[in-house]
This record gives sequence, C-alpha cells and structure tokens, in this order.
Amino acid sequence: MATILGKTNNGAAMGQSIPRVEARAKVTGRAEYVHNLRLPGMLYGKVYRSTVAHARLLGVDVAAARALPGVHAVYTAADIIKLIAEPYYGPAFHDQPILAVDKVRHVGEPVALVLAADPHVAEAAAQLIVADYEELPAVFDEIEAMTSKAVVHEVLKPAGTFPDLKHLKDKRDTNIALDFHLRRGDAQKAFAGADHVFEHTFRTQQVLHLPLEPFVTVADPTPNQLVIHTASQSPSFVRIEIARLLGWPENRVRVKVPYLGGGFGAKLYIKLEALVAAAALLAGRPVKIALSMEEQFYQITKHATTLRIKSGVSKDGKIIARECEVWWNGGAYADIGPRVTQKSGFTAAGPYDIDHVSIDSYALYTNLPAAGALRGFGIPQLVWAYESHTDMIARELKIDPLAIRRKNILREGRPQATGTLMRDAGIEPVLERLAQRMAWEKPFDKGNGTVRRGRGIAIGFKASISPTTSVAIVNVGADGSCMVHCSTVDMGQGSDTAMAQIVAEALGIPVASVTLVHPDTDVTPYDMATLGSRSTYHMGHAVKLAAEDARDKLLALARDVGLSAETTPIPDIFRKKYGMQAGNIVGIGSFIPPYTPPEPGTGLTTDATPFWMIGATGAEVEVDTETGEFKITRLVNLVDVGRPVNPAIVETQISGATIMQLGFTLSERMDFDAGQVTNASLADYKIPGIRDIPAVMENEAVDMVQKSGPFGAKGVGESGTFGVSPAIANAIDDAVGVRLTTLPLTAEAVYRGLRANAGRPLES
Amino acid sequence: MTTHRTIEFKLNGRPVTVHAGNHQNLVELLQGQGLFGARESCGQGLCGCCTVLVNGTAVTGCLTMATLVDGADVRTIEDSADGELDAVQQAFIETGAFQCGFCTPGFILMARQLLDAHPNPSEDEIRHYLAGNLCRCAAYTEIIKAVRLAAKKRKG
Amino acid sequence: MSPFDLVEPRSLKSALKLLDANDPSVRVFGGGTALMLMMKAGVFQPTRLISLRGIEKRYARVASAEDGGLRIGALVTLSALGRAAAVKKRAPVIIDALRTLSNVRVRNVATLGGHLAHGDPHMDLPPVLMALDARVVTAATAGTRTLAVADLYTGYYETALAPNELICEVVVPSQAGRRSAYVKLTTRAADDWPTLGIAVSLQTDGKVIEDARFVVSAATEKPLRLPGAEAVLRGATVSDALLAQVGEAAAAETELVGDARGSAAYKTELLRVYAGRAVRKALAA
Repeated sequence: MATILGKTNNGAAMGQSIPRVEARAKVTGRAEYVHNLRLPGMLYGKVYRSTVAHARLLGVDVAAARALPGVHAVYTAADIIKLIAEPYYGPAFHDQPILAVDKVRHVGEPVALVLAADPHVAEAAAQLIVADYEELPAVFDEIEAMTSKAVVHEVLKPAGTFPDLKHLKDKRDTNIALDFHLRRGDAQKAFAGADHVFEHTFRTQQVLHLPLEPFVTVADPTPNQLVIHTASQSPSFVRIEIARLLGWPENRVRVKVPYLGGGFGAKLYIKLEALVAAAALLAGRPVKIALSMEEQFYQITKHATTLRIKSGVSKDGKIIARECEVWWNGGAYADIGPRVTQKSGFTAAGPYDIDHVSIDSYALYTNLPAAGALRGFGIPQLVWAYESHTDMIARELKIDPLAIRRKNILREGRPQATGTLMRDAGIEPVLERLAQRMAWEKPFDKGNGTVRRGRGIAIGFKASISPTTSVAIVNVGADGSCMVHCSTVDMGQGSDTAMAQIVAEALGIPVASVTLVHPDTDVTPYDMATLGSRSTYHMGHAVKLAAEDARDKLLALARDVGLSAETTPIPDIFRKKYGMQAGNIVGIGSFIPPYTPPEPGTGLTTDATPFWMIGATGAEVEVDTETGEFKITRLVNLVDVGRPVNPAIVETQISGATIMQLGFTLSERMDFDAGQVTNASLADYKIPGIRDIPAVMENEAVDMVQKSGPFGAKGVGESGTFGVSPAIANAIDDAVGVRLTTLPLTAEAVYRGLRANAGRPLES
Repeated sequence: MTTHRTIEFKLNGRPVTVHAGNHQNLVELLQGQGLFGARESCGQGLCGCCTVLVNGTAVTGCLTMATLVDGADVRTIEDSADGELDAVQQAFIETGAFQCGFCTPGFILMARQLLDAHPNPSEDEIRHYLAGNLCRCAAYTEIIKAVRLAAKKRKG
Repeated sequence: MSPFDLVEPRSLKSALKLLDANDPSVRVFGGGTALMLMMKAGVFQPTRLISLRGIEKRYARVASAEDGGLRIGALVTLSALGRAAAVKKRAPVIIDALRTLSNVRVRNVATLGGHLAHGDPHMDLPPVLMALDARVVTAATAGTRTLAVADLYTGYYETALAPNELICEVVVPSQAGRRSAYVKLTTRAADDWPTLGIAVSLQTDGKVIEDARFVVSAATEKPLRLPGAEAVLRGATVSDALLAQVGEAAAAETELVGDARGSAAYKTELLRVYAGRAVRKALAA
C-alpha cells in the first residue's frame, strides 16, 4: 500500500511494543560493531601501562620492543608532542595526557604504545617495555584527598567550556577539582529549633561499567580527513575534541559510530580516540586499539563516595532542615566528575520538601583510575545515603517508613532545593503505586527461627542534564520511505526504534518505512551525547521537529503541484513534481530546552532541568540469622518515564537498570592494593549472572505524561537504578535489625552486624 | 618446531582451508573468515560471547586453540543467517531478550543446545544451563521467557 | 600469546616420551581451558604443548567396576562424566557437584584428569573424590602407580605428580551403604569460585553413622580431611546436638584462609554452621 501522509499508521506508532528495528541483525550475529572492523594495512595497538600509582616518569626504555620482529612502531609522549604540542584532553578539564608526559597518576595509565600488524606481536612487544619511575606519595581516599600533601595535579586546567569552572583556572596544590554549594533557607538555625537531629555517614565503593564490548577505536588517516570509527556515546564531542587537539577544522575529522555492545556512560567524551588518532597520523596507517576486559578496569569507573547527611526533624517526623556533604572520589583525571558533583549534587537532599537545605559537594582527584558517569550520574550514590537515612530516622522515631515519606515527599508544584518548581514529576504517584504493589499496609510475614524476613522501600529522583543541544534531519525519499539522520547512539537502549516510532507518529506513516542513519559526523548533525537519559526527550524533540518540518514541506509541495497531501500517496506527489521517482524532502529540527544556571554560591535557580526522572524500589528479603546470608525474594521497581514510546523496551530498560544496580549493591567492588586493581577480571569481579536474579521481579511505569516531552515521553535509562541499594538495606534492617552503611551489602557484613547486636562481635 | 600449520575443516557446512598459528584462538580464526558473531569479551570463558559449536558441542571460542579444529565441523551464529530464523531466534525477538546484542549469539547458541538436550526445561534448568553466559544489559528475565517460548515453538 | 609447537600423539606412551622432566615449557593438556587462561594471562609461555585428545579411546571412557565402583578415564570430559548413567547410579554426588562446576562449555572440553592435576584448591571434584576415598592411577615412562586423591595434593597449586607423570585413570571404590553430599558456598554471585567447599560421605543405616569422611576445600591451601569432625560423627546417632558438635569440631581443627570472598573468621563461622548442614544433606541423599 502506498504511504499517505498522516494516514497510513492510524497514529499507532507511539506506545507500541514493536520489536527493535535491528532485531534481526542482532539475533543472526550480523549487527555492526567497531569490533568487526578491519581495514587494509591496519595496525593493532597495544598499550604499555604504568605499574605504579603516582610517580615522576624519568624515562621509558622501548628499545627491546622496537627491536622485536614485526613491530611497526613504538610511541611515547615525546612522539605525540611532535604532532600535538598540548596533548591533554577531557570534557571538563584538559588534564588527561594522550600518553603520560612527565608523571603517572594511576596504575594502568597509558605510557607507551606499540603498533604491529599482528596483535600478538604488539602484545609481546609491550611486555618488553620498561619505565623508570621516581615514586611519589599517593592518595587514594576521597576524604584524605581534601587535605593530603600528595597532590595529583600541580595545577588545575579547566577546559573553559563551563562557566562555573572558570574560577579554578591555574589553581595550585589542591585535589579539589570542583566544589559545589547550595544554600536554601538557614539549615544551621533550623537545626537548633528541631526536636531531633540525626546524622549519619555512608560510603559507596568504586565499581565500573564493564560493557561486554570493551572499548574499541579505529582511526584511518585518509588523504582529506581523519576518519575515526569508534564505540562512542558522543561522536559529536569526539570530533570537536580531536579537531581541537590537532588544530584542524571540524570537517577534517569524521567520526562514525555503528552499534555499541553496551555503554552505560563508559564510552562518553574521549576515551581511546585521542591516542588512536595520534598513532594513526604518526604511522600514516589505520590503527585499531581494542582493550581487553582487564584493561577496562583502568579506563573509566564509577565514583566511590563518602556522604554525610544530617537532618533536623520535628517530633511527628517532619523534616525541617537537612545538611549534606558529598565527597566524590574522581580518580586521577576529572573526566565528567565535576559535572556529576554539581548536576547530581543539587539533589543530595532527596525528593523531600525541606525548607532549609545546605549541600556541599566536592570532586576530588586521587591516584586511582578515573571516575566518570555510570547509569545515574551520581544519583544512585546519593539515593543510597538519603533513603537509608530516611529509614534510620523513621526507626528512631517509630514512624512507619511509608508514613515518613508521605509526610515529607516533594509534591507537584512545590519547590525543590534549588527553588525550581516540580512539574510532571510523579514522585507521589510512584510512591503510592509502590506501596500498593508491596501491599505495604497489610500484615507482613516476618519469618521465625533462623529465617527472618523483612521489606524496605526507597525512592529517588534525578534532573536531566541541561542545557544541551540536539539536531536532527528527516529525509523523505521519492517513494515515501524516510531516513532519520541523528547522532544518538544506539548502545542497546533502543533509541533507533524509539526515533523511528516518533518520526512515524509525527508523519503518520508506518514505522517500517523509517530507517536510521547511524552517527557519522559527515552526515548526521550535532548531538551533545547519548547520556543522562536525555535522548528520548532532547533528540526525540529534534527528530519530531524535523519530521514536522518535512511534513510541512511535503504539504507545500503537494499544494504547489495541485494535489492534496491528505489523499495523495507520497510517491505520487514527487512524481507529479519531478516527472519521475526523484527528489527529496529534507526536514530539519533543532532542540535546546530552556535552562537557568544556578546562582554562584547558593546554587539556586528557577529552572534547573527540563524534566525529572523518578524511580522507586521495594524489596523483600529473607535472612539466615546463623550466617548472615540473605536472598532477595521480591523486587518491585516503579518509575515515572512519562508516556512510554515502546512499553516493552521500557520494561527491559527498567529491569536491566535494576539488575545492574543489584550488582553494585551486592557483589561488585574494585579491590585495590597500592592503586593496583587486584580483581581485574570477570572471574574475580562479579557482575550479576542469570542465577543472581531475584525469583520475583516486577517492573512498572506509572501512568504519567511529560507534557513538555515529545508525545509525552521522557528518559528512562537510569531511573531503575535509583532505589535498589537502600531498599535492600532497609529490608535487611527490617528483618534482623542490622543497619549497613557501606556498599556492597555482603552476608559477612550482615553476620557481623548480628554478632555485634548480640554483644559478641566477630574478630576482624 | 611447527608453530603454524594448514588445517582443513567445515565452517557452517562449507569446506575451508586455512593456515593458522597454534597460538591463535578459534575466535581469531573465524574473524579471518569474516565471521564476527563469536566475540571475545571476558577472555576467560565466563561470558559466553565467543560461543562456537565444534562437532555439535558448544565450546568457548576464545579458549580453543585454532589449529585443534582441524577436521572438525564448526558452526557459528552465522550458520543460519542467510535462511529463515529458527524458533530460538524468533523467540528472542518476540520477547525482546536482548538490548545491545553483543552477548546474544552466545545465548542463542546455548539456548539451542539446552533445548536439544531438554526440550521442556524448567526455570531452574534454564538458569543453570545459561549460567556461563553473561548479559551486562541484564535481559535475563526476558531471556528466560524467550527460552520457554522457543520450547513451545519447537513443539509446533 | 607467542607461537609454540603443538603435537597430538596417538598413544599415551608416545605422549609420555614427548614430555621432558627438565623442561617446564613443555606440557600436556586435555581440554586446555586452564592452560589457555594461563597462557593468555602471560603466566605460562610454552615452547611445546602435547594434546592428549588423540590417545587411546579407553582413557576417555567411564566403566562400572566389578566391586561396585567406577573406573573413569582421565580424558573423560566433565560433561560426559555428568551424563554417565553409571556415575549417576553409583556416585550421584559427583553429578550434583558438576551442576555448578564452571559452565556447560568448559565442562564440554575440560577433562577429569586436567581438573584434578591443576591443583587449584577451589576445584570442586578433589574434595568430593576425597570423600569417596577415590584413587588416581598415574603413568610415567618409568611405569604406573596408584595414589589416593587425598595424597595427590601437597600444597597450594602443588601436587605429588612428577613433571613427566600424568593422571590416566580415577578409581572410585564401591559406595554401597554410603550417602554423600557436596556443599559449595559462594558469597558474592551464585556462580563464583567457592568461598568454602564441604564434602561429606557417611556409612550409615540412616540413624547411626558407622563411618564418616569429612573434607573441607577452597578456604584451605589444599582440600583437607578433618579427623576431629569425623571422630565426632563416627558411631554417633544423628541429632541437632551432634550436628552442632560436628561444626564446633570442624571449626576448632581448621585454620581457614581469608580472601576477597570472606575473612578467615567469617569462613570459620560458615564452616561451623554448614558442617551440620552438609551432614544433613548427605543423610537426605
């Protein structure tokens, strides 16, 4: 059937659980990943990495590596500098050298690069490299970093892209990469008038993304352009940053991204791209670097944190004042840590209506692998603290955990800590629906003997990252089929499918007639990045605007040739105009949401975010009181994602996010010895497997509409992570009266708590 | 010392002759044949992304010495890619049992092996059989549903 | 990985001849998974590897022995072992242990001989076979010998095997009148190296325990029999008090090693509790 504008899908694209557009390619092993790419003449790169956490680099002996038969070249910083005089990159700070220049700042930092046509030769050669280090005192703990004499970077080098980092330029002898402060009301004064004051400290551990497709980049120096094929979530940023490093115009760098084998925030900004680009230009040949699973442990991680939270509460459980201090362990390079510090920091007091709030949030440099954004951008760490704290207060005051939340919850139209009024934020509906599904007000079987049962809830929220830009093109062909050019990266979240559904809905054509052009900076326009659950909202808007622009142009074209677009199939309109199957209609859409930057010092703003994400979890657990072993018997996850574009994919996203956070809650932890990761493999760093999934898992998106979103939709990728950790800790406490304040939650920690409660602490 | 040799084997039903090194693994050998559906990820046999069938038995491609497949019947996820999708592939699509798709070929090959051995597996059997495959997107609940649906489809 | 020679002898005899007692860079393998892991990690660089998969087929067979026990060729894959009807009938605890031993693909290629010769104290079958009082038959150019699985392990990743000596067969005596169980405790993910392994084999009429073998693994340098726990069980009648006593005895006589999966103190508490649970599991088997 020929496609007629606005008629052919009966408006049924939005809200349909259609299979992913790339489903067939994925189940036949034919989906395109950078991993698959081999170019003629391509060399493989293997990185020699620092073996010490903090040292002056006195020299690198690469003679033996260069002499190995089959080695094409070995590069150190001295070679890179010939090409790029200032070889430092980063999204917030230009602090990360392409190869270590005169210092190494963490174990695993790239020091030299071997190139060979045979990857086994490159690997053997890299093992022959020896570096001469003069070790320096190192700092690993975020609290110690505040005052440590060991300084990771002698001088701070903010990138200049962000106005709130400007004051840090040229600052010396500090590990504080950014300090963010929010002051609302007068918390200190309010504490004095409170009936009760509670103060607790929480910690989270360093973990990492571990996409099953490890980092991989290929750079191809063609005569006119440097072409970079990379597993990146931010192709536009890669192009701009590589062009900046080389001093080239943007259009001489071309960045292409096929599908990603997982991202989760790891593959943002610049990772391998600068090194691979420099190596390819120096060698004059295509170069590929594919990290091993072990090497991923040194590339990018999630912040370990220490969080102190203090609340002034009235006798009846109303929270009057809250003070939060958060120390983010950013590792040796800032990456996007300073943005996490601010963009997540301002929600540290939780989704509660509190008149007096004080927040201090610090991004710290340490001699550990760098930390960046990981599914939630710092929010899961904050929710861990404030939702554990909420239950601890409830327990002390003998108030039901649901009741204390109902009393304090931030309701629609009320100001959040920044002063921004809550709009289309389903905090209350999510909490109420969770209570209903958990049957919270009905009696609960607490178990007996050595098996005790408990339940817990937790709720968190997150602002979107603003202000950020997305641009899209919708290109209608003469047969009525349609291509969407956008730089959103499908890393598994289903954005290709969502964008196709949005365009089909906007044009009223079948989803099957829409295809996505994958990110290629020569042909897909700018997008800030695929991060922070922003694509459905930001790129969704851009794509919708582009589709509407195309529709208007198509209507005008039909009018020009004396046809009605409402009754004429699209191909007939083109044929009438051009006399044959020819021509295109190109619609363009550009979207940037409104935003008001926070006032320096107070952090207050009337417009902090274009939308809010809400996520809550309820957990039921069973604890073996003889061993502390526990199992999660039921996990209920509720989110507000606005109107889901594709309910089935949304459910998989909620469930996937929840299980990932389950790993960060129960089993995942990077262990270190003097900055060296001692469990850098999937054998020793345990991510959830199929036998770790709770017997009962329920996921639901509450019935909400984001009025400012495209067709009522908003982001979904992170919301499932928010409540998981504290809900489980709260359930354990409910079951056996053991309160854990450090992640991960282990059976041994529960057992130690039981023994401590019994007055017989277990020896350490 | 013979570090390399010429081997002959059947790859997805077609005879192949390759000169390979003993130190190369089966995934590298397949990449040389333009097949990328078996992927080395964890490198330790824990994630299952590199699953390959050798003489009808599932093996860890990244821990299999390439030259040992001399004379063997080797099958990969691409085996059926030109033809129709089988019940397992259809079930994975219908239940949405993947996100990024990187681990999917391994799960599909293992699910087929499971259903060949146990046409009507319990949830416990599914979980135990697939315990050697990891999905970082964590589509596990959907994968369990997919295997059940595939079992039903296979019975017709 | 760097290039190396790979040979596939057709007989055990020629495989033994290819081994060089003075050259540790020459090694044999069955499935090769553990060896590949070591080579990929760079901890082992061979000059020559000897694949055993081409030797006489009898080393890849499971046979029922006339005494009611089992004779298992060292090249039997762990999958084949798990499917063998004779094993299911005569030593079902092996089938139970195999269920969570590594994963299907590894079990498809890994061999019993390789599993036992590796010497890693986290392996599942050494404690089970010790509880069953199994023996291994080994071969070297000098001849063959038989030794108890209990005597195979001399320390952390250390075995009593000479550099040019191979395990060629595992002999499991008749288990008539015995009930056995293996408990594998993992504390992080469900699929992980064990934090603690306990294997128990009891000679019992269901009430009185006439004889007991109690083995602990994973948290020790090598799998260990616990004579104190065995003494508590021997001749005793099963009761909650007895099981508690077994736990006390086991915890008192064993020095466990702490690691990322649990402190030594916690593992000792796990042993105290799970000793009795393992006995219960064996009685229910």
